[in-house]
Amino acid sequence: MFRPVQLTRVTIQIPEEYISVVMAILGDLRLLHLIRVEETPLGRMGYVAHVNIPLLERYDALLIRVNGLLEELQVSGAAPLLGRAQQPDKLIFRLEEECAGVEQQALDILREKKNLHTTLGKDQDLIDRLRLLEPLGLELGRLAALRYTVFQVGLIPEESLERLETSLGEIHHSLIPIERKQGRIVLFAMALKEDEAVLLRALKSAFWDPLALSTELQGKVPAILEQLTEEREKTAAELTELEKRAEALARQYGGVLLQLREQLLVARQLILAQQKFGQLDHTYLLTGWLPLALFEELRQRIMAASADKAIVEQLAPEEVKEVRSGILTIPILFNNPALIRPFERLTILYATPSYEEVEPTAFLAITFLLLFGLMFGDVGHGGLLAVLGYLIFKKMYRYLDYGIILMECGLSALLFGILYGSVFGLEDLIPALWMHPMENIGYFMKVSVVIGITMISVGLILNLVNILRQHRYAELLSSSGLAGALFYWLLCALSIRYLLIGPPSAGEILFAKAAGGLLFVLMIFQHPVRQLLARSRQKREGRFSISGVGVSFLESIVDVLDELLRYLANTASFVRIAAFALAHAGLFMAVFTLADMVRHAQGSGFLYWLSLVLGNVVIIGLEGLVVSIQTVRLEYYEFFSKFFRGGGKPFQPLL
Amino acid sequence: MLLAAAGYGYPNAKIRALRSRRLTEQDRHFLLAAKDLASCLFYLATSSYAPCLPVLEKGTPELAFLERQLARPLMDHYAKVVRSLPGAKERELILALFSRFEAENLKLILRSLFADLSRERVCHLLYPLGPLSDLDWDLFWSCRSIPELITRLRANIFGRSLQHALAQFEAQGRLFPLEMALDFSCFRILRQAAAALTRRYDLAVTENILTSYIDHLNISWVIRLKVEYGLAAEEIVNYTLPGGKLISLDCLNRLSRVEGLADFIAQLPVVFQAELSALRDWGGIRPALEAYLLKVLARIFAGQPFHLGIGVAYLLEKELELANLITLLQAKARNLSVAEISSALPRQFTEG
Repeated sequence: MFRPVQLTRVTIQIPEEYISVVMAILGDLRLLHLIRVEETPLGRMGYVAHVNIPLLERYDALLIRVNGLLEELQVSGAAPLLGRAQQPDKLIFRLEEECAGVEQQALDILREKKNLHTTLGKDQDLIDRLRLLEPLGLELGRLAALRYTVFQVGLIPEESLERLETSLGEIHHSLIPIERKQGRIVLFAMALKEDEAVLLRALKSAFWDPLALSTELQGKVPAILEQLTEEREKTAAELTELEKRAEALARQYGGVLLQLREQLLVARQLILAQQKFGQLDHTYLLTGWLPLALFEELRQRIMAASADKAIVEQLAPEEVKEVRSGILTIPILFNNPALIRPFERLTILYATPSYEEVEPTAFLAITFLLLFGLMFGDVGHGGLLAVLGYLIFKKMYRYLDYGIILMECGLSALLFGILYGSVFGLEDLIPALWMHPMENIGYFMKVSVVIGITMISVGLILNLVNILRQHRYAELLSSSGLAGALFYWLLCALSIRYLLIGPPSAGEILFAKAAGGLLFVLMIFQHPVRQLLARSRQKREGRFSISGVGVSFLESIVDVLDELLRYLANTASFVRIAAFALAHAGLFMAVFTLADMVRHAQGSGFLYWLSLVLGNVVIIGLEGLVVSIQTVRLEYYEFFSKFFRGGGKPFQPLL
Repeated sequence: MLLAAAGYGYPNAKIRALRSRRLTEQDRHFLLAAKDLASCLFYLATSSYAPCLPVLEKGTPELAFLERQLARPLMDHYAKVVRSLPGAKERELILALFSRFEAENLKLILRSLFADLSRERVCHLLYPLGPLSDLDWDLFWSCRSIPELITRLRANIFGRSLQHALAQFEAQGRLFPLEMALDFSCFRILRQAAAALTRRYDLAVTENILTSYIDHLNISWVIRLKVEYGLAAEEIVNYTLPGGKLISLDCLNRLSRVEGLADFIAQLPVVFQAELSALRDWGGIRPALEAYLLKVLARIFAGQPFHLGIGVAYLLEKELELANLITLLQAKARNLSVAEISSALPRQFTEG
């Protein structure tokens, strides 16, 4: 929990004929973070990436076919769980066969359905256009036979009519608006045959949308409409029948198609992973990070599948040369229980932990819930937050993590609500198991400072662990290392002694002065002394150094003073816990006062309860947000800044 | 007046501050006198356009790309003016004015779909609209055909206008009807936004500016369609904007039917005749009309300051400055003489 999953660097060398089998095994294990071989020293030995493009293209083509079928059959649903991953080069044959089987059953029906859809659309379009002419009761055949005049029927935008009329001012013409339709006018335009070109030019520039009527249409418009409607209904009935058959197909083959798509996607992903493999003649080389616990299983399966012709090696991270020289970063695979896992988002928002340092998510989760509960303690509000979190957890899969965090924060607030004896701000419903914050302001502030000292101390201890793990021993004597921590604890001990028992004795003061002075001198001089040693070493080696010891000494004084002041400020910053808990209680008082004013003015009716409910909603929304921000602030600036450096990179599994 | 001062005090100060960053007389002089495009750009790098210029040491940038980059301050100023205004209806009017640039970008998408060009090849020609445009541009770029784009745009006024012009696009096989439909829809939005203004003084001043602007455009379009495109009179009339101030529909009809420049000028209202009487060729009309419009816009800043017209006038003024700057750069790229360049620019630009 406090460390990421232990990883090992795996290198697999495998003859070409077994690469597909190995890919299937890797796909099955999934938890391999591949490293591009070309970017390692092996790349310089001639190993180059080689993706099987023809195979990838076959997968892509098949994926398009499967997606097309899914879309046309209107199949949707969650991706089914797959069994073991299979060799992509063999799998493609089976998948193509399965897809062809479904296509054989479905394509004719789908094609016919599409044709009928098009026919239906065209019929409807013609009917719609003819309906526009219905009020005129025209006989189309007779109009087409006119010898000296030409006519046009169509639609123009309403605002174009006046301009059209003006533009035709020089010729004999007639414009008959039939009706208005969605910002356009259905227009019947006539002119002499000799002016046809002018009419057409004018109409064209007026955004004319002609009702293209076929010359085959004979008779009066209503009769034509009746005939067309009958034909359309017949086509619609045929289409309904086909849709039923398509639905049956979707039920029969929907699951198969979804499974096919999932298999295609996994296989495609595996082929694309080849970009990170290295190939030299007929040998493939793969390298990456794998959880140590899975190594043995991987090795045995590869050896069995390749008839012992593969070489599978592992290296502990500290033995990897590129890691030691800082070229390669070991990825981080978090290892937290389900209830803590959502807080990984908050950790990553600050920084991705490096492999060697303490993974801080567990500390973050515990302290976050503690601080939130302290500041937002109320049984009613906590309960509501918990219920809201549960609903998000159950109903909104995308926001699962946030649901869990909200639920846990709600429960924490509920627990502290019991300790404070507060239910929706009413402090006389249940007894306070600890205290009422408004009645114990001074005490609460002291508790807040103690919590601050504890959290900062934990941060300092974690920093010492990180220093030891990362072998940064020189930092032990600095103000952010062991010397600084001891100085901080010395001051804290004196303060607590003063607050709990009284002024320290003369001996204690003498000890504190001596120890504090020694630590202070140590912190200030450690850097210049190290610099001096480094300079003399450089001198011996004949190298020239420009930075002077005096400057280093000044820098050291400023750094130490700055760091020690920050300890003080960070500790005082925790007083905000009490402040926001009091603000929470204060807001309740304001809401109750407002509600009482309403009651005095209007009686204890609907408005009284409405103001109480609205007040509580505002407190939950506003105060919940403020408290969350303050908690994150304390975590990031006061706690994380003491030990967490980050700089790692997240583990990217193969699938 | 007091209420207007309270509402427009801040926008007025803001807009006047923005206006003070226009090219100065000295800037215009040195830009005009620059020996070539490169020196012109180096001088421009000392003006308020400097932040949007690419690194000039790497060579002279492509002019088409530069034109759109130079529009960046104008787009920023639109955003600043919108933010400074007190009411939603006032902001709507500025956004309606801004919609002309959205229409220009839509035209580019239409052209790229028509010519089957990828987004990467033409994206440098887009106006950098910034956050003021709430259209889903990625969605439009993902369209594979013009009808699909029009369907995606269905929900807004551009889509409706394009839908009405689709039949002519399909019949003529060219983008012209769609492009004109986009222009028309912008001015329809503008008219609607102006009509929705509630303060009488805002409405009067804004209408004065917009109708003068429409007159300016109508005359320019008639000349362009007639002289450059050779369209017939009955077509030209239909491609003009309604709602001009001095130029009526009948006047436009007459203008589209006359032949020579002298007859053309004679058909214009007296105010324009006074401005254009000295002209001997069609090319001089655009700068002369622009000079007239700039005079109208400048007058807006002289009177009572607390109204929306200040914002509209400033943005149009800035737009004309940009257009003239681009004309200047194009002329410099073609190595035209100072006299030739001056004749293509309004007198305010060349004289100060």
